Order: sequence, then C-alpha cells, then structure tokens
Amino acid sequence: MVVDCLLPMARTRPKSDLLQGTLDLLILRTLQWGPQHGHGIGVALRSSSEEVLNVDHGSLYPALHRLERQGWVDAEWKLSDNNQRAKYYRITAAGRRQLALERTRWSRLSAAIAKVLGPA
Amino acid sequence: MSSWRRLRMRIQRALYLPAGADREMDDEIRFHLAEETRLQSERGLSAAEAATAARRAFGSIALAKENTRAVWVSTTLEQLVQDLRIGCRILTKAPAVSATAVILIALVIGGNTTVFSIAHGIISKPAPGVHATGLTTLSWVADDGDIETHAEHRVFAHFQEQSTALQIAAADFQRVTLTHDNGSYAARIGIVSPNYFETLDVRFVKGRSFTPDEAERGTSGLVVVIGHHVWQNSFAGIHNIVGQAVAVNGQLATVVGVVDREFRGAWLAEMADLWVPLVGEFRPWLQPNRSGVAAAMFGRRAPGVSLSSAQSELTTIWAQLQRAHPELDQKVRVRLVPYSATAGGNSIISTQGNRMLAIFSVVTVLTIAIVCANVANLLIARAVVRQREMALRQSLGASRARIVRALLAEGLVLSVVAWIVACLFAWIVSRTVVRLLVPAAQSEMVTPDLTPDWTVVGYALVLALLCTIAVTLGPALRTWRQQLLPFLKVGEQSVVQARSTLSRGLVVLQLAFSVLLLTTAGLAQRSLSLQDSADVGFNTRDLLLATVNTSASADDAKGNRALVEALRERLARLPGVGGASYIPGVGRLSNRALFPVRRDRAAEPVITVDRHVASDYFSTLGVPFIAGHDFRPHDTRTRRGVIVTRQVAEDLWPGEAAIGKVLIAGPDARAVEAEVVGVVRDAFFAGRSNDTRPRYVFFASAERPGPPGETTFYIRHSGSQGALGPAVAKAFREVDARVAIASLRSLESQIAVDAAPLWMLATLLTLFAGGSLLIAAIGQYAVVAFDGRRRIREFGVRIALGASSRQLVSSVISESFRLTALGLVIGFALSVAVGTVLARVLYGVTPTDPATFASVFVLLAGASLLASYLPARRAASTDPMVVLRTE
Repeated sequence: MVVDCLLPMARTRPKSDLLQGTLDLLILRTLQWGPQHGHGIGVALRSSSEEVLNVDHGSLYPALHRLERQGWVDAEWKLSDNNQRAKYYRITAAGRRQLALERTRWSRLSAAIAKVLGPA
Repeated sequence: MSSWRRLRMRIQRALYLPAGADREMDDEIRFHLAEETRLQSERGLSAAEAATAARRAFGSIALAKENTRAVWVSTTLEQLVQDLRIGCRILTKAPAVSATAVILIALVIGGNTTVFSIAHGIISKPAPGVHATGLTTLSWVADDGDIETHAEHRVFAHFQEQSTALQIAAADFQRVTLTHDNGSYAARIGIVSPNYFETLDVRFVKGRSFTPDEAERGTSGLVVVIGHHVWQNSFAGIHNIVGQAVAVNGQLATVVGVVDREFRGAWLAEMADLWVPLVGEFRPWLQPNRSGVAAAMFGRRAPGVSLSSAQSELTTIWAQLQRAHPELDQKVRVRLVPYSATAGGNSIISTQGNRMLAIFSVVTVLTIAIVCANVANLLIARAVVRQREMALRQSLGASRARIVRALLAEGLVLSVVAWIVACLFAWIVSRTVVRLLVPAAQSEMVTPDLTPDWTVVGYALVLALLCTIAVTLGPALRTWRQQLLPFLKVGEQSVVQARSTLSRGLVVLQLAFSVLLLTTAGLAQRSLSLQDSADVGFNTRDLLLATVNTSASADDAKGNRALVEALRERLARLPGVGGASYIPGVGRLSNRALFPVRRDRAAEPVITVDRHVASDYFSTLGVPFIAGHDFRPHDTRTRRGVIVTRQVAEDLWPGEAAIGKVLIAGPDARAVEAEVVGVVRDAFFAGRSNDTRPRYVFFASAERPGPPGETTFYIRHSGSQGALGPAVAKAFREVDARVAIASLRSLESQIAVDAAPLWMLATLLTLFAGGSLLIAAIGQYAVVAFDGRRRIREFGVRIALGASSRQLVSSVISESFRLTALGLVIGFALSVAVGTVLARVLYGVTPTDPATFASVFVLLAGASLLASYLPARRAASTDPMVVLRTE
C-alpha cells in the first residue's frame, strides 16, 4: 500500500490546509477536461503525473464529496463507457474560479519554495 | 444539474444519510473497484490477482466510507448518538449491575430531591393561591436579634402613604365565632387592609374585594370576604352568596366576595376562613387578646424596583417616623425579605431556613459522594473485565477522548434513567409526607404545597449530572492512564492492580454510619412504643374532649366564666356522662412551658408544668387525691389555692405533710404565694413524656377568669363516643346557640396527634437507616466483587492446586468480614457517644440498650454476609482451565 505524501496521514482530521487543498486542486484540474467518475480521476492523476503521484484511491472520495458539498463540482449518475452505472463529477463555475485561485496560490508557493532551496 | 435538484439532493442527504447515502457510496466504490479490476486484468493479471490489486490500490474501504460520511454529517452529533447507543447496549448487557447502579443513584437522588422538595415547599414557596412575583415581607428586627412580624397600625398607615417603591398591605389574624343560618362555628379570620387581595393577586370566584371606604366605616356596615370552603360547606355553594348576612363574634356583617378555592391566607400559619377589613380604631369584640391594632405587612414592588432600593426607601421613611414619634421603639429596624409562605418573623423556618438548607446541601453532597463512590466501584469492577477490550480499541486507533466519551455516555444513560425514577420517587413520597403531616398539623396551618415543581425537577437533574460525572470519573481515569501493552500481551486476567484503600475505607465508613443510624432509629422506636404503652396514671379511654369558642356569646371575663360553668353543669347532667370539667384554651397537650416553684424565696426551684383547671378536673380524669381536696367554688381563703402532684410535694417538703404549706410559684419577677389545698397521685396529664417523674401544679381557672375565647371540656363517658358527640353539641346549643364548637375528639386521638411528629421523626430515621444499610451493603458487594475479579487468577491457581470451593468462599467472606467488624466497632462506639446525648429524650431504654444493639448487630452482620457471599460464590466457581489457559 503506497501512502502518498500529499494525502492526509491519519483518518478523519485534515492535517493541513495546504496538503488537503492540493488534492482538491489536482481533482479540479483533472475535471477541467470534462466530467469523470472517481476511478477515472484516479487514473488520470496517475498518468498525467507520470506515475509519480500514486494517490490512494480510497482517499479520493472524501475529497470529491467535500468538493461537491462546497459546490465546486456537481455529481450525476450516468452510464459509463462499458454500460455500468457510475457517478460522474463535473466542475462548476464556482469550481473553475476556485481552481484559478488555487493555481495562482500554488505557483506562488512553489516559486517561493524554489527560491528558498536555491540552485542546487 | 439545476440548483433546485442540488438543494433537493442535499436535503435528502441530510435526512436519509444513514441508509440512502450509504448505499450510494457503496455503489460508487463498487464501480471503482470493478473498473480498477478491469484495468488490471487488461494489463495481464489473473482475475483474482486483479481484484486483490484493485483492493490494494484503493486502501481501506471502511475508512474511505467513514471519511466520506464525515464530510456530510456533523460528526460529533453522530458520534454522540452512537455513544449513547453503545452506552445503552453495555448497560443492558449486564442488567444486574446496571439495575443496582440505577437503584442506588435513584435512591440517593430521590431521597435528596424529596427533602429538597419539602424544604423548598416550606421555606421558599408562596402560600397556595398567591402570585408571588415581586412580593416582599416586612420584618422588624430588634437590637437583640429578636424579629417581630407585627407593627402598630399607624406605622402601616404611614408606610402605605409614603412608599412609592412598594404597594404595602397589612394583615392580622384571630380566632372568632362565625354565626349564620345553620349555626355557630369556630373560625379563623384575617383582618386585612383593603388592598390585601389585590397585592397578593388573589382571584375571586364571586363578588369583589374590599373598597378603601369600607376600611373607614368601622363596625357599622361590616363586610366580609369568605373562603371558598366556607361558601361550599356552610352555604352549600348557593348562587346568591354575595349579600348574605353572617355574624362575626356576634356582630352582623355582609358577605361581599368569595376567594379562590386554594387561598387561605398569605402565610401558612394564617389559615383564614374569612376576612374583614383592617381599621385604625381598636375593636375589642374582634381582638379580645390584644390591646391595640397591630398587623404584619408585606408589599409588592413597583415594576423595575429592586429589593435593595425598596429597602433603602423604607429605612428612610422609618427613620423619619421614629424622629417624629419618640414614643415608638427607637431600637427597631425595618427589614425586607423576599416573600414566601413562611417568611418574616422569628419562626425557626424563617430565621434558620437558609442555614438548614446549607446544612442539608452539605449532607446531600456527602451522601451523593458516598453513593457515587459505590456505583463507581461497581462500574470499575466491570471495567476491569473490559480493560482488554479498551486496550484493543485504543490500539486500533480509538482516541482516549473517544473512549472516555463512551464511558461518559454510559454514565449519562445510567443517570438519566435514575433521574426519571428519582423524580417519580420524590413525587410519590412528598405527597405521602403531606398526608403524614396533615393529622399532625390539623387546623394549625395551611398544608404547604410540597409536590415537586420545575425547580425541584431541575435540582434533581443537576444531581443526576453530578452523579454522571462522579460515576464516570473513576473508570475514565483508569482508562486514561492505562498502559496498552500489558493488556495486549497477556490474557484478560493477568494484570493485577493494587487494591483500593479508598473504597475499603468508604465501605467501613458506610457500615459505621449505618450502625449509628440503625441504633438511633432502634432506640427511638423502642422508646416511643414503650412510651405509648406506659401507664399515664389515669384511664385515657372513654374521655371526650370538646373545644368551644365563646367569643360570640360572652362580653367579658365574668360573663364568660358564668357561661362556661353553665355549659359544664349541663354536660355533667347528660345521660352516660360520669363527670365533666374544663381547661382554658384549645387543649393541646404538648405545650409544656416550664414553671418553677419554690419552698421559700431563697430555695432552689423545682421545675414543674403549670395548668389552670376547673373543679372536678381530677375526678373526671380519675386521678385520686392523696391528701387534701379539690378546688371549692366558694372558698374564702385570701391566698390562691394550688394542687400539686405527689412528686412535687415530695421534692418541696420531703417527709412532711404538704397540705396548708405555702409555696412560691412562678418565675422570679412574677412569683406569687399559693397555699397547697390538695396533693394528687403522679400522672402524665399532658400525655406520656420522657420524664420519668411528672411534676405538675394546678391552679383554679375560676380564680383568674380569662376573656371570651376557647375552652376545652373534658367529658368522661360510659357509652360510645359516637352517640355522645351529638348529645354534647345539642347540650351546648341548648345553653347558648351562639357557642361555636371548634372540635370534638377523644383524648386518645389528641395524644396521638401530639405524638405524631415524634413518630414521624422516628419513621423517617428508620427509613434513612434502612437506606443507609442498603447503600452500605451494596458498597461492600461492589468492593468484594471487584476484589474477586482482580484475583481471579489466584483463585484459579488455588482451585487447580486442590482448594475446595467452600474453602475459597470462606476465605473471601472472612476477609470481607474484617471490614464489617471494623465498621461495627466504629459504629457502636459512635452510637454510645451519640446515645449519651440522646439519653435525655429517651423513655424507658438506656442509650446502650442491649436488645437494640444485638438486633443491629444481627441485621448488619446478615446484610454484610449476603453482600460478601454472592461475589464469593462467583469467585469460587472460577474454572481454572479458563483462567490458566490464557497464560
């Protein structure tokens, strides 16, 4: 079992806003390409990070439901490509705004960290 | 998706989350796993391998579901419900322990709540029918701390006129004769200012209250307000009651109103049947025992006025009045106290009420602490069994806080159940106590409303919450400090804890306390029953007591004496009557004011009880003269005559003849000389008391005739009392129809009424003692059970080595009996110490009465034996295989 460094380590309690927000950011970003179910999001995250971010699939769902509760994504039960009922998530207008916000914050943060670490 | 649909979904989620949302979540996860499995098999894995890989990639399904659910539900609420559910489940799993705990807590809360309910009913509730918001009572405090309720009428008039903070009303009360078409009756009257009913916010069912000018009219055009019961009983509830004529002590009056059913006056002691207006001028026919107009006062505060500002206003007004009138008592201060049915004055309740409540609350906290310690012991005994479970839960990730919360929920469930039981208990018991009180108080005061109200229920709730905390604290601390590893490494039985000295100490304390209560209760019961069966010196059966009020028929002391004599002679001539006599007053036997008599002015006084009696008193009772004779109607002696009991004569003049001797009677300042005309045999004239030698002196009531009022006749009869009653009433009517009969009863029942408070105390004491024994026994049970649990491995080993179960039982019991022995020794020592104090009030038993002590010993030892035997049996039935297998 691989525990991703970006994920909350323990169970219920969110360890830090940054880490939790990061997973949210990645999900929102993935959903920008179109509606997707939970598994699809997991697969997309894995492949787009070139297998670096191996998200524990179980932890996707709390994040998805949290986003849904905040109104950043919508959910709908649809038939999947192989004709199975699946819950598809779609980014909302509010979600897009949140994504833009989080992206700026993230790039500012990573730039800052890069500056601190300096050229190796 | 429309926002409407989203809203609906959200509501659905909130409502159906446990079932619907869970199913949806299951579907979602199942789909995920199916997709992942498909993906893996496409990569070339076998079906089984693919499924496992999918599961591995997903992580903990339960965790994911739990976390996802937590997104939607307020977790704390859900956990609380869950905790409570678990609490209920744990309690129903061990019903015996839970029932014991509930009964214990219910007993202690219920007992305390009952006492609180009674104290609250007597000390702080308003009188029935009064709306007490903003009401205050005025008291007059002297320098020496003496507190008066009454003040002169002019003080009231001045206060009423000057005060802006208070609407002040005044009231006095008196016994009178009420005459109407159906006859004359003894009644109690309230003499009240016109604004009395308005100030107390009393409802009228008929007619109206007094108008201010009615207070100024005086005797002509007298008006009365009558109580609901008078309207119903004396006027059969007639429709046109307003305008009916009645006579109060012979003065004609018109009924103007009827008050609400409940209302009998602002104070419990008032118990009025009717009310007349208070006037400034003195009316001797209404208040023959007073010399001027005086009344007690209370006021309703104007809106927004605090008690302290009203107090400062009244202080100022009083100071001005004192300056203007130097003849007023300059040392007295006015004090405002919150109104209640017993507030004001220097009655024990109003002056000591708060102190009693304080003492009571200390006792409450102590008993609750002891009982909670017991329950905690019980729960700890069970918690030991669950230690491994707790350790396991912690190691699986349950936080300590969560486990403590579960324990708290368990305690809460216990306490809530106990609280409900306790409230029912208090409700039933306080109603029973009222029924016990009524015969004792009999027409002396309004029965206070003792049934629990919301304050009392709230009080019980606070106690229940206290119990929850107290009960949970022990097990919770144990869990908090608990080391996980030892419990996980070894079996359930292997971890030995230190035995608790505290809980053993508590058990000994409880046992000692029970012994003390049991011996005291036993002594009280024995003393009272000995007293009841003791010979009083005359035949108490076939003696009828009739109290009458002559206020309406006689104008002065002389007329009253003639009337009462005529009544006596008429009674004595009735068929079946062996003799009749009378004493002034209502004939309560228990008033025993101490009265010193001396041989001469320098001698040490002999303390006696004095009585004023008419002639034939002794022959009616059947107490023979040893020497001398009864009072004679036309004695020509100049000195007062006195009749003494044998013991008094013996004390004053040992070995001499007492007849013709002169004694000095009364306290120093008012001492008078009296010549002994007769000596009677010793007898308990006031019913049995704890004095072994009763000492009485008697004076002739004819020598000092009192004003019209109450007189109590003693009638010795041979037939049945039921037949005599109507004949006596008829005889009174024949002499004077305006004579009001206040009560007819036998001497036996009068004695029983007088002794009722003592019996009630003894019964209460016995109940307390029983409760305390129960608590102590359960406490001991808990400790022995806990010990048995703790040493279960030792027992297992002993059985494996060949110990018989009888040996084990006796070893456990003998160990437990060390506590019992210690408790008995301390308890008996305490009892002897308390007994020496009690000796003065005990009758016929010594403080170390062997029979009482022996029965207490047997009772306590038996209870203790039972409490140890049950857990000892369980320990002895340990299966050594089960215990040793876990090694």
